[in-house]
Amino acid sequence: MKFLLWLLVFLGATVLGQQTRPISDPAVVEAARKEGRLIIYSSTDQSSAQALLNDFRSLYPFIQIEYNDLGTQQIYDRFVSETAAGARSADFLWSSAMELQVKLVSEGYALAYDSPEAKNWPSNARLENLAYGTTMEPAVIVYNKRFLKPEEVPTTRESLARLIQEPRMRGRVATWDPERSGVGFTILKADYDRFPAFQELARAFGRAQAALYSSTGAAFEKVISGEHYMAYGFFGSYALLRQRTVKDLGIAYLTDGTVAIQRVAFISRRAAHPNAAKLFLDYLLSLRGQNLMAYTALIHARRESVVGEASPKAIYQAVGGKDKVFVIPVSRDILRNLDPAERLRFLTFWRQAVKGQ
Amino acid sequence: MEARGRQFRKGGKIWLLPLLAFLVGLLVLAPIGILLYQSLLSAPFFAPAKRFTLEAYRYVFHDPYFFEALKNSLMIGLGMVALAVPLGSLFAFLVVKTDLPFARWFELLLLAPIFISPIILGIGFIVAFGPSGFVSGWVASLLGGVPWTIYTVPAIAVIAGLTHVPYVYLYVASTIQNVDASLEEAARVAGAGPFRMAMTVTLPLVRPALIYSGILMLLLGFELFGLPLVLGDAKGIMVVTTYLYRLTAITGSSAYHLMAAVSIAIVSIALLLVLLQRFLLGRTEGRFVAVGTRGHRLERLPLGRLRWMWAGVLGLYLLVAVVLPILGVVLRSLVISWGPGVDLLEVLTLAHYREIFTLPNLSRAVTNTLLVASVGGLLSLVFYLFVALGIQRGQAWGRFLDYLSGIPRAVPGLVMGLAFLWVFLFVKPLAPIRETLLSLLIAYTVVWTPYGVRLLTAALLQVGREMEEAARVAGASPARAFLNGTLPLLRGGLLTAWFLLFIQFVREYSTGVYLLTSGTEVIGAQIVALWGTGAVEIIAALATIQVIIVGLVFLLASRIGVRPQGL
Repeated sequence: MKFLLWLLVFLGATVLGQQTRPISDPAVVEAARKEGRLIIYSSTDQSSAQALLNDFRSLYPFIQIEYNDLGTQQIYDRFVSETAAGARSADFLWSSAMELQVKLVSEGYALAYDSPEAKNWPSNARLENLAYGTTMEPAVIVYNKRFLKPEEVPTTRESLARLIQEPRMRGRVATWDPERSGVGFTILKADYDRFPAFQELARAFGRAQAALYSSTGAAFEKVISGEHYMAYGFFGSYALLRQRTVKDLGIAYLTDGTVAIQRVAFISRRAAHPNAAKLFLDYLLSLRGQNLMAYTALIHARRESVVGEASPKAIYQAVGGKDKVFVIPVSRDILRNLDPAERLRFLTFWRQAVKGQ
Repeated sequence: MEARGRQFRKGGKIWLLPLLAFLVGLLVLAPIGILLYQSLLSAPFFAPAKRFTLEAYRYVFHDPYFFEALKNSLMIGLGMVALAVPLGSLFAFLVVKTDLPFARWFELLLLAPIFISPIILGIGFIVAFGPSGFVSGWVASLLGGVPWTIYTVPAIAVIAGLTHVPYVYLYVASTIQNVDASLEEAARVAGAGPFRMAMTVTLPLVRPALIYSGILMLLLGFELFGLPLVLGDAKGIMVVTTYLYRLTAITGSSAYHLMAAVSIAIVSIALLLVLLQRFLLGRTEGRFVAVGTRGHRLERLPLGRLRWMWAGVLGLYLLVAVVLPILGVVLRSLVISWGPGVDLLEVLTLAHYREIFTLPNLSRAVTNTLLVASVGGLLSLVFYLFVALGIQRGQAWGRFLDYLSGIPRAVPGLVMGLAFLWVFLFVKPLAPIRETLLSLLIAYTVVWTPYGVRLLTAALLQVGREMEEAARVAGASPARAFLNGTLPLLRGGLLTAWFLLFIQFVREYSTGVYLLTSGTEVIGAQIVALWGTGAVEIIAALATIQVIIVGLVFLLASRIGVRPQGL
């Protein structure tokens, strides 16, 4: 039923979407035609990005896309090294490692570009005209329906802390290991900074002997197999994508406050194909691109007006209001997360709470 | 020895050896040199502001987590020695010397774990023996519980030990084959049974091979990456290679100087172990020549009624270490969901394979892998042949080459990949090939130098030099004498080496991660990239394709008479 509804909305939106082309300066389009190529470094799996790439190609068939599906760390390492060597590198960088992206931007690697599609872009989703937050991906609870009934799954940190201390949940809960995963650090630290109830939850993780993972893949795999019943704090976007095929997976949103991250995109200042990169940025921010994200690619869109399974509206509805969502802003403030003392502040708490050290 | 060396030099090509040593040195030392340089700096070496400092080493050597990782690596390495050396030697003795049933089949299957990448084996072990695994399920329904875990350091040590049995088996089997049969004959005539003979005659004779493979196990223990990455994740068990991930996460961005310092520390440990190995064994030739004459083979020892029991032991080993994990991976590639409470028939699908062949990067990965493994394997074979010849005939230069060619495998694959990225970026003449498969091939060739050179050294040792020397006496040039005298005899050994390299290049994974560009994807590097974001079923499907490729090549190889034990 729900699915049918989405399908209808989707069909409607596709019809609309087909008609709306991204607003781009004709001069940029002409210049991009001459460039004929676009190199993207992205942490988005090719399998979920493919729909976007195909659609973009249908708009601008003259642009040959080289899409590099890399880890967030590899994106940073390669881009920095290649730029230092003056070698060919990415024109467009699109990654969920917010600190690393903002660090690159603040060190002057980004090309300023006022995208015509970013006119009413949320202020916490842009760093001047240098970098743009393209998504709003909530941290959610993913659980296995074979072992937990939907009504059993708590939606607040407090009740979650209670549930996981039941004997049957011992060793059955998974979350990020912020000491081994950069993205995990970003999410859990934001949780810690914003929501006091997280501290009790962290201690409950310790008592429940929660397994700590360095990658989404491993954690999800073990929820799917039932080795863990639930995982806390992983991206809702990946969860939606997996849920499409794995019917056993359930998703629960936190109604006492949800952290969301943004996939940050920027154009390299030394891009060999800056105009093609501008077109791609326009496209990602456009209603058409954002619609495709919300319906097909299942990467939560950033545009507030988009409706669909993976959209801000859907998140607000699931968590009970816009004020319940803390979207980590794309701003220089996030660089504080790279300060050793600041990192240690959170990690010391974490070690104490979870590992009793 | 002395005479040979002089002869080689008298051949007129005095510049050949230094040139070879220079080339190998450049290839091996360039990436390690960059790492060493980086480890002594305060910032990335390409950053404008940096200074020389020992800060990185100070940090690492004051980090308790580093020592914990080091301890775990050592434990795993020792576990591998304790498990793989006895099992590997026992299996070698059974297969080569006794009338074990199905010996031909065991000979082939025993090598399987070498040819599957450890990440895959790790996933296979989780699907089969993990808390939700299918084997665990059966056992739990029989016993009411599962008496094991696979996520602790001892468990990882056992799994690593089991999966490294073939390495020991290969070395010991090739030595046992060459053991002077008359000594064993004497023992039997004197009335010794098969095991008394094994303990009193064969064992002392193959001791060098045991020492060699024991230290090799320690070495491989320190290099282990895929297995602890997959199996140690949930409990946060770190070994020296996965400790690098922690460094990055703790600092929040890439701490190149720390990563480099850790890598240099690992290289130093490896170098020490190699020195120890050489010290215990003397030079390469020594350990084979001491074995004595071959040719007249003893008939196989009768095991009597015990032969079926021993076959059962081998079968059980293969079941646990090879068959069940591979079944696990294949199963995972064919289902949407798994674990207790899942009716597997309901979740069967071929969708994951369809996805591989519709996504351009994944389908390219399959074809690129085949290309790199076949053509690339051939090119690196030629390179290794030169190095092996240099080692065999090069005297002091040869010893230098011998040490040089032992280094690369010690650097953790991911760091080696990063170092190669830097080499291809900052060594300007190499820049044009960075985004081609050639860069990948060079990196693979360097990383697999220890393995490849050993294969070819062994092949060279097996052919006599008589033909070549005869040709030289008859007035042929050294090159001509080699081409017409020795090379034809080497044909079998070269073919075998090429097959083995092909298989290793198909399974190689971490080195390619930084050299991967849109267009030069390979299966192994894609698997590492996918592991981060979660598509385990796609990984399993890619891995199954990898296993099928390797399996087919292996069958083909054994069909046309390639015998890895021969090396």
